[in-house]
This record gives sequence, structure tokens and C-alpha cells, in this order.
Amino acid sequence: MSLRRVSRRLAIAALIFSALGGAAPAPADGLATAAADQKAFQAFFKDRFPNLPVAEFGNGPYAVNAEMRKQWEDIMQFPPYDFALDEGKTAFETPFANGKSYADCFANGGIGVRQTYPTFDTKTGEVVTLDLAINRCRIANGEKPLPYQTGMMASITAYMAETSRDKPFDIKIPDDPRAIAAYEAGKEYFYTRRGQLNFACASCHVTSAGQRMRGDILAPAMGILAAFPIYRSDWGSMGTIDRRFTSCSSQMRSEPLPPQDPAYRNVEYFLSFMSNGVPITGPGTRP
Amino acid sequence: MKTCLIVALLTIAVPALAADQTSATTALTAADQSEALAGSLGNRWIPAEAALKAARAALAKQDWDTTLTEATRAKALADRAVEQAREQKTLWRDAVIR
Repeated sequence: MSLRRVSRRLAIAALIFSALGGAAPAPADGLATAAADQKAFQAFFKDRFPNLPVAEFGNGPYAVNAEMRKQWEDIMQFPPYDFALDEGKTAFETPFANGKSYADCFANGGIGVRQTYPTFDTKTGEVVTLDLAINRCRIANGEKPLPYQTGMMASITAYMAETSRDKPFDIKIPDDPRAIAAYEAGKEYFYTRRGQLNFACASCHVTSAGQRMRGDILAPAMGILAAFPIYRSDWGSMGTIDRRFTSCSSQMRSEPLPPQDPAYRNVEYFLSFMSNGVPITGPGTRP
Repeated sequence: MKTCLIVALLTIAVPALAADQTSATTALTAADQSEALAGSLGNRWIPAEAALKAARAALAKQDWDTTLTEATRAKALADRAVEQAREQKTLWRDAVIR
């Protein structure tokens, strides 16, 4: 075989190898990439806020701005989410019409599990958030699903978050190409600029984290979901992660997706995985 | 004399600039197509949707001028959204923390 023919065959083999590798990374490679992403992500925020303990990242703007923290400490004398917390506890403990309850749908009876959500369901091949799991529980027990953005959904997740306080985020990515694809889709969504204002989630919560956007202090992306659901003074009521995502989209002049759209679930999966180790602080309060 | 000339020119020019039903519906169809493309790329802009809604409302009232104006605006916005979505397909990777 001539040298030219050998080199041509090698070149073709290299092209095929590269094409296969580029199209579908092996799960092990995907997991290694996710782990490297997480390490770099957390190092970035620890470097940006060198005096901030990891546990503080779940307090968002109050962790990085002394004036706001003082106001927050005053507000927390009478936390504005307390009514929702009571309502959520009652609802959580009230049996469904069939005699079962939320506790039957979750590990450990739903107590102290918030830090493990979102999970990746290897049976259905999709990301399952706590809110989605709550509604699936209701449907499985003959109840109507709850609206996702506020109201009783926020109250029940507030109670469940409260039972997980101080437990660090512990999000797992299983060795499954679909889970890695969901993680990668969430990462892409987080860093992609969209809307008329040409903003990505990362524009505010990475690049400008800790800085002012008009009257607001932008929370660091690391631990940003730990406080949800939140009572937001701007809303005058409780809101879930879906409410926050849809209002962020609108602020970027981008048409929001429906609550629990796979894209929103994937970005929640990505952000929560990036925040592994940050303790749950929810329910929270924000300006 | 000069005033008469200006009035005469305006009399001729204004009707020529006014939109008709054909130009209005053509503009709206083009805007709808651009917005559908932006939607297929997962990047519909709120102002583009608002302009489209205004164009449809004007069409229903047979207000061809407003239909043309709003549809042209909607298409321009939707085209930018498409361009943004296509650029970001690869550009987002540059923003990833490494």
C-alpha cells in the first residue's frame, strides 16, 4: 500500500472518529464535563466573592450587599412568607380525597428532600422538578394539578423547602446520555442571549453578579435557587422558580415559555447542579 | 404660486404613499413568516409579538396604513430575533465559565 493511500485512509478514519465523537459524547465524557463545569463555576464565584462562605450564597443579594442585608434582617423579624408556610404545611398534611397524601409520593415522606430536586427520571428520560413532582402526585391521586407560579404551589414548596433548610444541594446526574443532554441543554439556555435586550441569564447572574441593575442587586448564579420559593416585595406575593424564570424572560423582552417547559426544567437542573454544596435557605424573601 | 405648487405635489404624493389592502396583507404575511421562524428557533421577542398583534388588529379594521407600519416593524424585530438565535447557536459557548 502506498504511503499516499495509507495517509488518505488515516484521514478518513480520523474524520469518522471526529464526527462520531462530536455528535454524541459518551456518558462518561459528559459526566466529566459536568464535573469540570461545576468546579470552574464554583471557583469563579469563590474568586469573585473571596470572603463569602459557601453557605451564604443561598442568601442571594443579601450575601453580597451590606445595606440590603441589614434591611433583610429587619424584615426577617416577621418573615413575609410565614402565612404561606403555614398554609403549605396544612395542605401537605391534609389527605387527598382517596386517603393518601403528598407524603406517599416522596422519599422520606417528603420531609427534607428539597435539596435533591430537580432529579433526572431515568424511566421517563426527563428532568423532574419538585413542583412537577407535586403535581404528578396530585394527578396520580385523582386531584387537579395546581397552577405553577404562585398560590398553593408556592405554599407547599415553601413548607417542603423549610424542612430541608441547611441541607446542601445534592443534585445527581446519572450515567445516562439523556441526563447529560438535559444538563447540556440547561447550560446552553443559561448562557444563550435572547430577547430584544440581548441578555442571557449569565449576563446578570455571572458577569454582573453583585452589581446594581437599577434598584436591584443582582444575585450570584451560584446558589440562586436555594431560597425558592420566595416572597418578593415587587410581586407582593409568593412566587416559584417558574414565576422567576418567566418574569426574567419578560424583562429581557423575550416571550416566556410555559411553566415547567422542558427548557426551564433543564436550566433549573443545570443551575442546581452548579450549586451543589450550597445549603437550602428557602423559603426566602427578596426585594 | 409656490403654495399652489406644494399643495398640488402633496395631492399627488400622499395617495401614492398610502398603503392598500394588498401591500398591508403582504407585509403581514411576511412578518408572520419571520416570527414563526423566530419561534421555531425558540426566540420570540415580546415587542415583535406586540407589533404583530397591532398589525392584525389594524387589518381587522381595514386600516391598511397601520397594518403596513406595524407589520413592517414586526418583521424587522423578528428578523433580528432570528439573527440573534442563529448567532447564539455557537456564540453561547464563549460565555461558559471555564
